[in-house]
Amino acid sequence: MSHGVFVVRGADEASSSVGEADVAVRQAFNATLDAERAGANVSGLILRLNEAGSVLAEAEMALGNGNSSEAAGKAGQCIGIAESVKGDADVLKASALDGARTVFWASLAFSVVGIAVFVVVLALVWRWFKGGYVRRMLGMKPEVAADEA
Amino acid sequence: MKLEDCKVVFAAVGLIGVLILASPTLGLVLHLPGGEKFSELWVLGPGHMAEDYPFNVTAGVSYLVYVGVGNHMGSSTYYVVYVKFRNETEPLPNVTTGAPSVLAPLYEYRVFLEDGGNSDVPLAFSFSNVSFSGGQSTVVGLTINGVPFIVDKSVSWDAVNSGYFYQLFMELWIYDPASDGFSFHNRFVSRWLNMTASF
Repeated sequence: MSHGVFVVRGADEASSSVGEADVAVRQAFNATLDAERAGANVSGLILRLNEAGSVLAEAEMALGNGNSSEAAGKAGQCIGIAESVKGDADVLKASALDGARTVFWASLAFSVVGIAVFVVVLALVWRWFKGGYVRRMLGMKPEVAADEA
Repeated sequence: MKLEDCKVVFAAVGLIGVLILASPTLGLVLHLPGGEKFSELWVLGPGHMAEDYPFNVTAGVSYLVYVGVGNHMGSSTYYVVYVKFRNETEPLPNVTTGAPSVLAPLYEYRVFLEDGGNSDVPLAFSFSNVSFSGGQSTVVGLTINGVPFIVDKSVSWDAVNSGYFYQLFMELWIYDPASDGFSFHNRFVSRWLNMTASF
């Protein structure tokens, strides 16, 4: 009887651990996706997520085959990798956001200053061109054309 | 050329110049829609080619195929490939309704891929406790990548195609971050296997 209780409790704990590992891997993936959207290179994180996913699959299959101790061990290993990936993904995201902010302000400054200089230069060229055009028109002498009709 | 015409040319040059100078910032703010989003799932033979697939199988012999997944979803994606085994009366996934097979998965692969990435993984399988009697074949044990499973499936002799046919199939599931859950991605690949007696 006590042996049966021990087995059931072991299976419950293993099932709970595998569930936690599943959640940890999802959270790690979501953090990686956020980092990618922020512009970070996530190739290294994807490699480690594949490692975590592989261990999680092994844990789930061990659980399905009734091997609770192996399932719990693999789940613990998976949680360790997933938490490490999540931490690194958060750091990468912050770094990528900083970089993106710097690039955004630099390009905004370039655009604003460039447009201002361009508009001023264009206005000066227009003034010079218009002055020359008017002077040329005023310098012309009227001619009387013959009425061919 | 009249002064009014010159004015139009200057205005056009000015507009083009402003757009060119604003393009670095606009490129960061505006996001154009990408191409079609889709995923790939395939199965290859032991030589990583679409040939030499195992077909006539027997107990105690190991067979190898490769299962591949390709990601064209526009961002990194989390997939699960479920390996299932059926006899000819059990249901396959329904691609019309997008419903997966109700059979429980035996083996699973969890695959993370960057956009444009693909991966193929080995699927080595063998059968054990196979018996034949009274026009029926029964398979009790199926080992996938070293993990043993009790499948206990029977099929009747197929007189039309001359064989005892089982099917190994792989379903592709995808993780949706918005709902924090997996859903069947409406893709599966399969291989028919003709169980033969070993002599």
